[in-house]
Amino acid sequence: MGIGSRLNWMRGRQEEGAGVTPRTLEWIGLNDAGEPIARVVRVQGPLLTGWRRFSAVARDAEAKVVDLRPSEPPDGAGWLACLGGQVVGRAALPLQAVRAVEARLGQP
Amino acid sequence: MSSMSLDKIRNIGITAHIDAGKTTTTERILYYTGVSHKIGEVHDGNTTTDYMEQERERGITITSAAVTCEWQNHRINIIDTPGHIDFNIEVNRSLRVLDGAIFIIEGVAGVQPQSETNWRLADRYNVPRIIFINKLDRTGADFYRAFATLKEKLDIVALPLQLPIGIEDQFLGVVDLVEMKAIIWEGGELGAKYHYEDIPEDLKAAAAEHRQTLLDTAVSVDEKAMEEYFENGDVTIETLKRCIKRGTIDGDFRPVLCGTAFKNKGVQPLLDAVIDYLPSPIDVPGIAVALDEGVDESEHPERRRIKADPKAPFAGLAFKIINDKFGTLTFVRVYAGTLKSGDTVMNTTKDHRERIGRMFQMHADKREAITEVEAGDIAAFVGLKDTGTGDTLASADRPVILERMAFPVPVIDISVEPRTKEAVEKMTLGLQKLAGEDPSLRLRTDQETGQTILSGMGELHLEIIIDRLRREYAVDCNIGAPQVAYRETISKSHTETYTHKKQTGGSGQYAEVKVIFEPMERNGGVVFENKVVGGSVPREYIPAVEKGIKVQADTGVLAGFPTVDFKYTLVDGKYHDVDSSALAFEIAAKACFRAGMKNAGPIILEPIMDVEVTTPNDHVGDVVGDLNRRRGQIQNQESSGSTVIVRAHVPLKEMFGYISHLRSMTKGRASFTMQFHHYDPVPRNIADEIMAKSA
Repeated sequence: MGIGSRLNWMRGRQEEGAGVTPRTLEWIGLNDAGEPIARVVRVQGPLLTGWRRFSAVARDAEAKVVDLRPSEPPDGAGWLACLGGQVVGRAALPLQAVRAVEARLGQP
Repeated sequence: MSSMSLDKIRNIGITAHIDAGKTTTTERILYYTGVSHKIGEVHDGNTTTDYMEQERERGITITSAAVTCEWQNHRINIIDTPGHIDFNIEVNRSLRVLDGAIFIIEGVAGVQPQSETNWRLADRYNVPRIIFINKLDRTGADFYRAFATLKEKLDIVALPLQLPIGIEDQFLGVVDLVEMKAIIWEGGELGAKYHYEDIPEDLKAAAAEHRQTLLDTAVSVDEKAMEEYFENGDVTIETLKRCIKRGTIDGDFRPVLCGTAFKNKGVQPLLDAVIDYLPSPIDVPGIAVALDEGVDESEHPERRRIKADPKAPFAGLAFKIINDKFGTLTFVRVYAGTLKSGDTVMNTTKDHRERIGRMFQMHADKREAITEVEAGDIAAFVGLKDTGTGDTLASADRPVILERMAFPVPVIDISVEPRTKEAVEKMTLGLQKLAGEDPSLRLRTDQETGQTILSGMGELHLEIIIDRLRREYAVDCNIGAPQVAYRETISKSHTETYTHKKQTGGSGQYAEVKVIFEPMERNGGVVFENKVVGGSVPREYIPAVEKGIKVQADTGVLAGFPTVDFKYTLVDGKYHDVDSSALAFEIAAKACFRAGMKNAGPIILEPIMDVEVTTPNDHVGDVVGDLNRRRGQIQNQESSGSTVIVRAHVPLKEMFGYISHLRSMTKGRASFTMQFHHYDPVPRNIADEIMAKSA
């Protein structure tokens, strides 16, 4: 079964900044009506605020709400799988996170 | 030489732990690519790349041999490297000039110490690599266990591109996870014949699972491929191969293939993988230009890089020198430009001109004359006057110096003297030539005894050198027992002032120097700084002070070993208008060193080795107890089936003759490897012993 058979995925926000190779920061999963219902988000970091180091995840599509996480992702699991506003899994690779979202959608 | 476009060239190395099958794999590659018409075997002593007499006699690779072959309309330049730690320099300089490498891992033991060492070296030079799990026909072979050691010991993302079909004597072929087909080798014709068929029923589930991991991992490195995946639910084989190549070059993951070179299975897909996934000279970022002395590399992450381009000004790196009956051959990796016989280039490292005479493409010990080389090529030049390993050859229009090579520290000394007085000159000449070929070999004269001291990486290394001296230069030598290459250093800062004064009649000598001696961290070397102000030591005498201390540092104050890892700063001094001279300042500096070192807490350092003993379970107690008696510090013990691997740090002094003791202790069932780890201060009682011996 192809991944695309459940949700339609498209690129979301891109990394910005001088000297940065643009990387996709999130993939957005759209349902058949074209509504975004899931997101796979890259954990960014480390960010320095004051004297503390954080990893960061944008919790909404416009990155207005940013979740700061005090630790590095365990086992390099740098992608979060989000369904609605809820984190349903984490993975080292974006496609694995996509699969986690798809698997959750398949559950009753 | 290159009639092929650059994207069709692969410069690769084959490297691994000793006896993992590098040379055997190379022989198969040469056979399947049509370079040789029969397969040589290491144990028969007739391989192509092990061409030295000693290599054939001992069944090991000593020098890196370069061979060229063609596969699928691509040219592959292969360098087969030694596995023994004593010849690590060969691996080091080969990896330095290669664009990619095949790492061979043994299917029984998995990642072994020398694989780890070579892996770290390849990391240092950012060499893209693919892994070949070999010897799957052996009793005890286990692809999945060997695969697990890749993560455990190398901490990498290893990505299987194949799964084995059968194991040990039932090993038949592999499942190709890219094409999702089985490849089965047919008997006869030395493995040249194989066919594709459907994946066996019992492997279908495992293959599907691993293909999913392959897709997830590979496609994630390329966002366009991800879109293709989302769109179609899969990607084309072409896209998948492109993603694997990109991930391999960027080091995001390391593709893993498998087979048994000795039983002629798995080598052709390995060659396909070299073409598909390892970079051509234009796929890599290019070689970095060296930083100026004293400039911190971390401050310049984006140094200027020279990209492979035949039309650019010439730049190449001499990475290996060999002397044979025809003269000196200098191996050069060409990074940019084109060079013809008769051209002149600059040796920018030593700042002199070199005229290019004859050039050859090498096939192990055979050579093919060529008249032109260009970016991407590896060739041997004959007749360069004064070009050593690591020197840059560049066009006079753009005289760049390429990133320097780092060489390992020799840890064992032996004294050598010719059996006859007449042979002294021949021996010196021979040793100088051998040291010119091998940067891990150092040559010095003991100032007190006048003996010639050879320093190398291990007993085997020095044994081979002495053997070569006998065979190639016809010099028989008496050699002393191997000695540990101790070093001296200081443990605290001290300021010393010394006045050298001889002013009794005639022209006198006068010089006064005030020098601060400070300890530096290990491998800090010897550093000089001049902080003289107001001309208290005239500028023209400062090099004499620097030289005096550097020369004297070769003979330490405790036991005469070279003094290392300290900084000396000239801060003040006095001179006399008539009686001062460079010689007077040099003498003052030497005496200042001798006096100053004694007050700077001098200590003796000894090499500590990283020792790994593989022993059956029932001898672990004996092995550990024995290592403890040898002043070893056990680092860890690890069970692997019925054997245990014991890792320890042990002073080299205690490891002489260890192999025979280990064999008798374990009835020949245990083996060990060791490599230099670091220098540590010797305990007081041992230091007293060393000083008493040298007195």
